[in-house]
Amino acid sequence: MARQWGMAIDLDRCTGCEACVVACHAENNISTVGEEQAAIGRAKHWIRVERYYEGEFPDVTVKFMPVLCQQCDAAPCEPVCPTFASYHTSEGLNGQVYNRCIGTRYCANACPYTVRFFNFYNPIWEKPLQLQLNPDVSIRSVGTMEKCMFCVQRIKAGEIQAAAEKHELRDGEIQPACVQSCPTRAMVFGDLSDPESEVSRWAGSSRATKLLGELGTRPKVTYLQRDSWHGSEDA
Amino acid sequence: MAAKTPEQINEDLMRPLAGVSASYLIVLACFLTIVIAGFAAFGWQIYHGIGVAGIRRPVFWGFYITNFVFWIGLSHAGTLISAILRLANATWRRPVTRCAEVITVFALSIGAMFPIIHLGRSWLFFWLVPYPSERGIWPNIHSPLLWDFFAISTYLLGSGTFLLLPILPDLALVRDLATGLRKKIYTVLAIGWRGTSRQWHRLETAMHIMAIAVIPVAVSVHSIVSWDFAMAPVPMWHSTIFAPYFVAGAIFSGIAALIIAMAFLRKFLHLEEYLLPIHFENLGKLLLVMSLLWVYFVFAERLTTWYGNERSEMAVFWLTQRGSYSPLFWTMVTCNFLIPFPILAIKKLRTITGTFIASVGVVIGMWLERFLIIVPALSHKYLPYSWGTYRPTWVEITITAATFAAMAVLYMLLSKFIPIISVWELKAGLHEKPHPLRAVAQPDQVGAD
Amino acid sequence: MERRDFLKISAAAGATAALEGCGNPDHQLIRFVPEEDLIPGLATWKPSICTLCPAGCGLSVRVMPGDAEVVRKGQLGLLKMGLAKKLEGNPAHPINRGKLCPRGQAGLQVTYHPDRLKGPLVRTGRRGSGQFREVSWDDAIQQLVSHLSDLQESKSEGRLAFVTAPLRGQRKMIIDTFAASFKRSMAVEFAFFDDSVIRSANAASFGHALPPTVDMGESNYVISFGADFLGTWNSPVAQSLGFGQMRKGRPGERGKFVQFEPRISQTGASADEWIPVEPGAEGMLALSLAHVIIAEKQRPAAAAGHAGSLVEGWSQGLTDFAPEKIAAQIGVKPETIRRIAREAAAHDPAVALIGDAAVAHTNGLFNALAVNALNALLGSVGKPGGVLFGPVPAAKQPAASLESWAAQVNSGAAAVEVLLLYNANPVFAAPAVWGVHAALDKIPFIASFGSFIDETSALADLILPDHSALESWLEDTPVSGSGKVVVSVAPPTMNPLHNTRAMPDVLLEVAHRLGGESAKALPWKTYDEAIQASFAALYKEMGSKTAKDAEEFWKKAQEQGGWWSAEESRVTPVSGSSAGAAVKNSAPRFDGNPSEYPYYFLPFASQLFYDGSLAHLPWMQEAPDPLSTVMWGAWVEINPRTAEKLAIKQGDLVEVASPHGKLEAPALVTPGIAPDVIAMPVGQGHENFTRYATGRGANPISILSSATVEGTGSLAWAATRVTLSSVGQGKLILFGGSLSENPPELKHR
Repeated sequence: MARQWGMAIDLDRCTGCEACVVACHAENNISTVGEEQAAIGRAKHWIRVERYYEGEFPDVTVKFMPVLCQQCDAAPCEPVCPTFASYHTSEGLNGQVYNRCIGTRYCANACPYTVRFFNFYNPIWEKPLQLQLNPDVSIRSVGTMEKCMFCVQRIKAGEIQAAAEKHELRDGEIQPACVQSCPTRAMVFGDLSDPESEVSRWAGSSRATKLLGELGTRPKVTYLQRDSWHGSEDA
Repeated sequence: MAAKTPEQINEDLMRPLAGVSASYLIVLACFLTIVIAGFAAFGWQIYHGIGVAGIRRPVFWGFYITNFVFWIGLSHAGTLISAILRLANATWRRPVTRCAEVITVFALSIGAMFPIIHLGRSWLFFWLVPYPSERGIWPNIHSPLLWDFFAISTYLLGSGTFLLLPILPDLALVRDLATGLRKKIYTVLAIGWRGTSRQWHRLETAMHIMAIAVIPVAVSVHSIVSWDFAMAPVPMWHSTIFAPYFVAGAIFSGIAALIIAMAFLRKFLHLEEYLLPIHFENLGKLLLVMSLLWVYFVFAERLTTWYGNERSEMAVFWLTQRGSYSPLFWTMVTCNFLIPFPILAIKKLRTITGTFIASVGVVIGMWLERFLIIVPALSHKYLPYSWGTYRPTWVEITITAATFAAMAVLYMLLSKFIPIISVWELKAGLHEKPHPLRAVAQPDQVGAD
Repeated sequence: MERRDFLKISAAAGATAALEGCGNPDHQLIRFVPEEDLIPGLATWKPSICTLCPAGCGLSVRVMPGDAEVVRKGQLGLLKMGLAKKLEGNPAHPINRGKLCPRGQAGLQVTYHPDRLKGPLVRTGRRGSGQFREVSWDDAIQQLVSHLSDLQESKSEGRLAFVTAPLRGQRKMIIDTFAASFKRSMAVEFAFFDDSVIRSANAASFGHALPPTVDMGESNYVISFGADFLGTWNSPVAQSLGFGQMRKGRPGERGKFVQFEPRISQTGASADEWIPVEPGAEGMLALSLAHVIIAEKQRPAAAAGHAGSLVEGWSQGLTDFAPEKIAAQIGVKPETIRRIAREAAAHDPAVALIGDAAVAHTNGLFNALAVNALNALLGSVGKPGGVLFGPVPAAKQPAASLESWAAQVNSGAAAVEVLLLYNANPVFAAPAVWGVHAALDKIPFIASFGSFIDETSALADLILPDHSALESWLEDTPVSGSGKVVVSVAPPTMNPLHNTRAMPDVLLEVAHRLGGESAKALPWKTYDEAIQASFAALYKEMGSKTAKDAEEFWKKAQEQGGWWSAEESRVTPVSGSSAGAAVKNSAPRFDGNPSEYPYYFLPFASQLFYDGSLAHLPWMQEAPDPLSTVMWGAWVEINPRTAEKLAIKQGDLVEVASPHGKLEAPALVTPGIAPDVIAMPVGQGHENFTRYATGRGANPISILSSATVEGTGSLAWAATRVTLSSVGQGKLILFGGSLSENPPELKHR
């Protein structure tokens, strides 16, 4: 059976540190838009940490939730793209083909998670910052949409390497940049079609939820809800 | 008023084609400047990138799509009015039909530019056209934007035909009355119209077929445009009411535009004896009906939303009703209903001036309605962390202003080249048998008391 | 070939050319012969060390060939060279075990920063005017040598001062040795966020002048008194790994985490319970918890051993700290204190931590000693799931404090002739009242080894820019984060981009040229020679199961990023020095009259900028601050009731005034802060620090008082009071569109 890539994020571990956010920028050549553009909502954080406060002082809690493209199996962004720039790959990813995109931005409106980011201008790297660019990831031009693809360049490289070395891909061998950097090990990535993979096991947890699952998007990211301390029961 | 003879009609309706006044040129120049400014703004956008517009995350559609829907909507008046009135044999339609059809074609042309203007890579707009491309794929037929492409091009073709067919006899008339270069040009344009009964018969048949055919096309166009929104899971977009709601709104704004155009033509082309108060009254009554229909749709949609109490929808609901978009919302209600309703319902107020005021209100209100459908919902989707705002820039404002100016320019230019009131249809009305049940003279018998 | 492939390749080539040809068709850049063996398209992974905070995490750097614009022999051209492309945690490194924090990820931008100094500079205009001219390395070094040789020989009172960040390892050894070779030289270490109070407390309580290593992965109950251990405190990545393990890494077990602090920090946001406490009252709170544990016979008072005896009243059971007695003073309900105490005692291993603002009050040392005693009482010291002290050699006598140094220079008590600056920006990061700027003005010759112009290096007369970390030999002995002995080492991951030189190499050459004492004390030619010598010594001391001789030991260490012991070796806490009499309860004192300055001022380390030294990295400016979501700016955090009382709305520009200065920044209204506390991130407000950080926001350090922590003399940076008023419209760039998941707009009818 073809691989179906998925991810699980344990919100009981996530501390909102944003290592994933910066790692993603570094891996995927996401351009910095600068103060003025960030002020009008054009910053591009393919993965972001949503932060929510609950309660009033002094009973305040904070919830962190890393949100990235959910690679939905029933993605609302796919039927609406007139040029098939947004399409579903055979391995379950929602692909974004930059070259096909003419910038209607319908996909971004249709996405309930608002995980799609648009290039309102051509990207700029003030020299020599362009040397930081990852040669495995293309640069997106003005007028095109971009978003997380689970570091498909790493997936492809991993698959090619495994094939060249004539071994099966091991669970955990391929890690998107965010998963790799997370200091609390809150994120796990792997093949959902393999019931023994760690991501499948996490997805089967009693704490497993899907973000906006009720919309029928069938997202492939599972969120494990923050747990509470059970010690008071046996105190 | 004495009844007009055909020669008098010719003279009155051809007079605008005779020449231009200084004030005409000045006004045309002003509007043209704004239109050129619009092109310059678009050029600026192409050069620097679409970032010069105000759209942003999460409000990825703003003024441009508002204009798109608004102008496509406006285009419904013409053809629908013209086609429905023809089929219903409403004889008072005669002076009105060409004005209406012209609005359709111009509004469609203007509106159809926006799917290009709003693109991030406008120069690749032709990828929406299904041709065997080197990319090896056809466009995505699942996308409402593709449906837009087909619907709008079909409608443009249809309404173009619907406009140009009945122009032929008048082009021939100009040809016959003109001299010199103009005669040569109009000879070509009139494509050999001789006025034989065979040609008349063909024309009437063609018009009849088109009148029937264009109605479903027009209904489908704005249904499809509405599905650009309704097909996306955005709170308060994903509603089944959108197709009829948009079509009704389109007709509503179209009639208003027609009344405004007629009022201007009446005044500036001295057509007081052709565009009569009764025309404005009848259109005013139609406008009243559409206003009530619009209120009905809005009320039905909002009642259902409110009753459903779904979190994300209620966020958008309150945003327009009492939140930051409420000033615009209540302005819209005022312009679309609170002002037009008394004017149009009370016969004494249903004058040319009255209907004009009501129509201006409706055009403003309907533009706001498109804006308020698009922007608040996008700004408040499902995850509050990603809520945002929208503010247009000078580029979008200039281009928007340029669309209105362009409409004016096109109208002003056309009225100088073609009689804006269908001469032959008017004359045909002179010979029309009065309705057996009517004792009163028909309003289309120009000049009759 | 296929037309499509052709288009792709030509587009790619075009893009590359566009990126590197600098768009100037008139003159193509010449291409230099590559200086290393490269295989196009092939990535190699090289170890390195992160130097952006004191944790000392190990890096794994992805290096790929690419074209860089470089200058060779005065000529600009293109050079294909190995370029660092991505930083990851080194999976083998015991501190961070393959993980990396957001700041570490951004370290790549230091190397490629557009405002990096490209070669030695000599001042031409007035000091601080920013006018410099380029000189050769030979000239630059010779200039420095000539100024220093004056010092060596002269019989004048003039001295050498060397101001650096707190350093470790061979780098510190070289600097200290260099400085010491000059009579009456002053080696000053300065960092705004330092661990001197914690070290003092741990030295007194446990005999180790070290920050703790927390074995959180095995803990069942963690109480933190203000320590931002998941964000910026101590060894954040190691602690995060432990935290993740504590939470969900042990099937069937989940530890509880309680954070006591007046403002929800990055770490406090992950607590099971965030409990606000009055600023400076953390020590009293710890003792109150201890009282409950002792009074309810959960642990005997004697269990706290020597650490307990340091607290006055400990053996009597701390009756003065009964919850009911002090609840009002410390701002925590008595029933809460009792409950937490019982829970902690019943769920061991339980461990307590203290850090950040809690030890930056005037009673910071008392607070730290109290928490140490609580830890000892809970039985977590030196045990799994508790705190342990890594087997690191004790730090030498701490260097002179920057405050006293500046005071001496300003008063004339110390006549500093030459000042050398390395990895420190005190003009920005020290309180204005210390007068560091004025002190620098008095010094005739200032040389900086920094890679950037910042507020301090802008005052230099000579700049000898160091390589960036990725271009340098690096070594480090982390002081916390693992129970293993760790000595990191890494060769440069790439050749230098610019005409820079490794600072230790420059010092060694200067010493050489100076001759005399300096040359004798520093015999090595290069820094890596010195590191290799230290590794030879290490091999001799530790031996190795895998390397047969010192050569192989050295080689293997370079390959894996360092050497570490196979086993953890916890150093048992000793009785510790009897640091004088037991420390009395001391309430915190604040600078500023409460009637004039009603609010406690709480600067905090920024998750992105740390202490401001990373504000120049665009990824850090554009990443949203996790709690506030602010990008490209600074802000002042205010409680909603306080904001209402002062008629301050979100985004208003507010003036924050202390007895020592004022600043302006936009207001951010947040529920996660006590009503009488105002908080502000450290890091923005640079007046001169590259195009990305200059002129942005405000610097809270500038208005701090010079109050010190009793018993250590370090800066009590949480001891300032301020007043607040709205002065206009500010600019807040927020990435997050809502404070809450259930804002009022989303409420059901």
